[in-house]
Amino acid sequence: MIRFDNVSVTYRGGVKALRNIDLTIEDGEFVVIVGLSGAGKSTLLRALNGLVPATGGSIDFNGTEVVGASAAEMREIRSDMGMIFQTFNLALRTTVINNVLMGRLSYVPAWRSTFGLWPAEERVKAMQALERVGIVDKAYVRASDLSGGQQQRVGIARALAQEPKVMLADEPVAALDPVTSRHVMGDLQRINQDLGITTLVNLHFLDLAREYGRRLIGLRDGYLVYDGDIDDVDDQTFMEIYGRAITEEDLMAGVELADHEADEAAAEVADE
Amino acid sequence: MANPLNEARIAAGTTLESAEWPEPPVGQRRRRIALATIVLIAVVWSVTGLDVSFDRLLSAPGDAWDIFKRMFPPDFEGEIDRGVLGKVLESVYIAWIGTLIAATISFPLAFLAANNVAPVWIRLPMRQLFNAIRAVPELIVAVILLGVTGLGPWAGALAIGLHSVGTLGKLATEAIESVDEGPTEAVQACGGRWISGMRWGVLPEVLPIVISYWLFRFEINVRVSAVLGMIGAGGVGSELVQQLNFRNFEAVGAVLIITVVVVIVIDTISASVRRRIIQGGTARDDGSREAEALADLTGIRTG
Amino acid sequence: MTDLAAPTAGAEWPTRPRPRIRSFVIFAALVVFTIYAGREVGFTLSTSWEIWTNPLWEKFWPVPWDWVLTRENVFDPLIETFQIAIVSTIIGCSLAMPISFAMSRLTAPNRPTYYVSKSVMNVVRAVPDLFWAKLLVTAIGIGAFAGAWALSIFSLAVMVKLFSETIDGADPRPLEAAQAAGGRHTPSVRMGVLPTVFPAYVAYALYVFELNIRASIVLGLVGAGGVGRVVEAQRQFFRFDRILGILIIIFCVVFVIEQISVALRRRLV
Repeated sequence: MIRFDNVSVTYRGGVKALRNIDLTIEDGEFVVIVGLSGAGKSTLLRALNGLVPATGGSIDFNGTEVVGASAAEMREIRSDMGMIFQTFNLALRTTVINNVLMGRLSYVPAWRSTFGLWPAEERVKAMQALERVGIVDKAYVRASDLSGGQQQRVGIARALAQEPKVMLADEPVAALDPVTSRHVMGDLQRINQDLGITTLVNLHFLDLAREYGRRLIGLRDGYLVYDGDIDDVDDQTFMEIYGRAITEEDLMAGVELADHEADEAAAEVADE
Repeated sequence: MANPLNEARIAAGTTLESAEWPEPPVGQRRRRIALATIVLIAVVWSVTGLDVSFDRLLSAPGDAWDIFKRMFPPDFEGEIDRGVLGKVLESVYIAWIGTLIAATISFPLAFLAANNVAPVWIRLPMRQLFNAIRAVPELIVAVILLGVTGLGPWAGALAIGLHSVGTLGKLATEAIESVDEGPTEAVQACGGRWISGMRWGVLPEVLPIVISYWLFRFEINVRVSAVLGMIGAGGVGSELVQQLNFRNFEAVGAVLIITVVVVIVIDTISASVRRRIIQGGTARDDGSREAEALADLTGIRTG
Repeated sequence: MTDLAAPTAGAEWPTRPRPRIRSFVIFAALVVFTIYAGREVGFTLSTSWEIWTNPLWEKFWPVPWDWVLTRENVFDPLIETFQIAIVSTIIGCSLAMPISFAMSRLTAPNRPTYYVSKSVMNVVRAVPDLFWAKLLVTAIGIGAFAGAWALSIFSLAVMVKLFSETIDGADPRPLEAAQAAGGRHTPSVRMGVLPTVFPAYVAYALYVFELNIRASIVLGLVGAGGVGRVVEAQRQFFRFDRILGILIIIFCVVFVIEQISVALRRRLV
């Protein structure tokens, strides 16, 4: 279980990214977080795994205090939290499997990973993670040779390889086209349902949020302004969260694709 | 050929797909092993060829440390009396004049070697000329010049000047070739002549980079001129050799420290000037340049 | 003729910025410095003319190829040069890898390591390369052994400068991902940063190897072995024609290595 207790994050330079956040998330939930750019969505996730240190309050993760944790405790916490990034954050010059093995870093001694001497079981786990997202055939392909959607799935596989309790997704589909975005969101949903991993997703597109979310959290200017079931959410709710009317940019492209986009999408599906 | 990973997979039990897992590419592995073997053989061949007996290998660090210890406390007073400060400055002057000579000669020549300026039959020989000059180390040039001019700093300056033409020429050529064509086209469109195109189109863009190369070369040349002193071409090198021959290690220590300090100071000043030139002279007079230079030097950032 | 005066003519035009006094002063100072330095160095037009017309130049030609192209005179020392270059490149570049990571902002494990490694390397780089050679020759004796050690230090200095700057410019995001997965510092750097910068490392190593071959010519002048030994010996007899022959051979060798190096480097990127 994750509990935020009066958590604030102020960056050096004075920017208040999070203010007095109180939030409890139970195991196995699928939570979607929305808010304008700068509202604090990214900071919220990064405060949870310590990439950004919280400057006030406490974050409890399954009994361990995240704020002020030692380096070793932090590594423990992070090994239980898989993170996927908007820009995928892959090591592009090496193979897919070397990227996924990053997820196993907390499970092998440092000397093994430093010299690339991964035991066979670790490689198996990495391959299984790739299987689960459906691109195990690309295991030995150079990461830069993959499409955006495939790269993000490698990112998901890397996170899965950690055998995490929590999945943190920071705008995972912002750089992807609508069809691929739906695939990725579908993957996240399946992982949440099949494996019971608590999932927190930052989303930019409100229609996507409504389509895939179960619980919705809205942030504005660092404050938590909405927390409720996705079914209770309507356009009015979004307007309250955003503080302004919804525009076209807040919605992902609709179902109608131009012809060539449809062909590309079909080709990608066939590629899997 | 069974993929051992597949066996492990079957043993692990969970499979979502019935297809076999891909194998690691064999070709790449073989190439890596071949490469590693070549490197290993080269190293072994080299080490044995160098006639390194094991006890020599072990005693070497000890001998070096021994000498190092004897440099303390460094004999600053004695050295200053012997005029070491003047000699170090002499090395700096030599480097400065030499670099200036090289800059003056190499810059116009670089235009002749650029593919967006000169035709093939001029630029190819020019580029090879630069390469040939680069290939001859300053020390060799100095050796030859000393035979002609006799001992003295002028040989050193000339040696540096001539050699650096090669490096600076090559770098300047690359800078000229990578220039944006826009401004040059604009000059032509206004009816300007070729030389105006160079002056207004190429020069403003290329000059900051080229000047920063000159400064960087100057930094290196200060070290070079210290070395040239060792064969009598002026500067602090001769002092070092002399004191080493007398086994006067405290003096050697002093010479080293003074040289290092001067080199570091020059490096730091030059680096901040270079940075300023590249950034286009944005006025930041709040002492942040000094802070940046210091940070560059020690890695310590204040504020 | 079009009237260039715009309808808004009459408003104040901005004054042309006066060139800053400070730039002028700096320029003047540089000129004075140059003149002073030139005088100190002994630059006069007459000495230049003397050099140009010195009859010693005749001693360079013809090159006695029969002497140059023999095993003991040139080829064996050349092999020694190669061996010195290989050993020093390997030693210097191997040490350079961890040190470069330690002195790069992106990958330094902690601040003290960063400061210390950066300061130490700055001092090492400030010592002229042949000073190292001379010191080592004095300490451990004349010969290729000292030369190898001296060039190792030189290789280390060059590689560290180049490589640490490359690391500074590397994409930090995979490193962030590795840390987010709970990895310790060194494995995270190895998996997140090394793949990105490794091609540059190999390219620099090849470049350093080239530099070492060139440097070994001059190493001989301080007694540290290789082809330089031969050059020094010939210098003492004023046999500049033989030296020229050796230089030509070296030039060809370096040229070949450079071509191979460039081709290899292209395959890496």
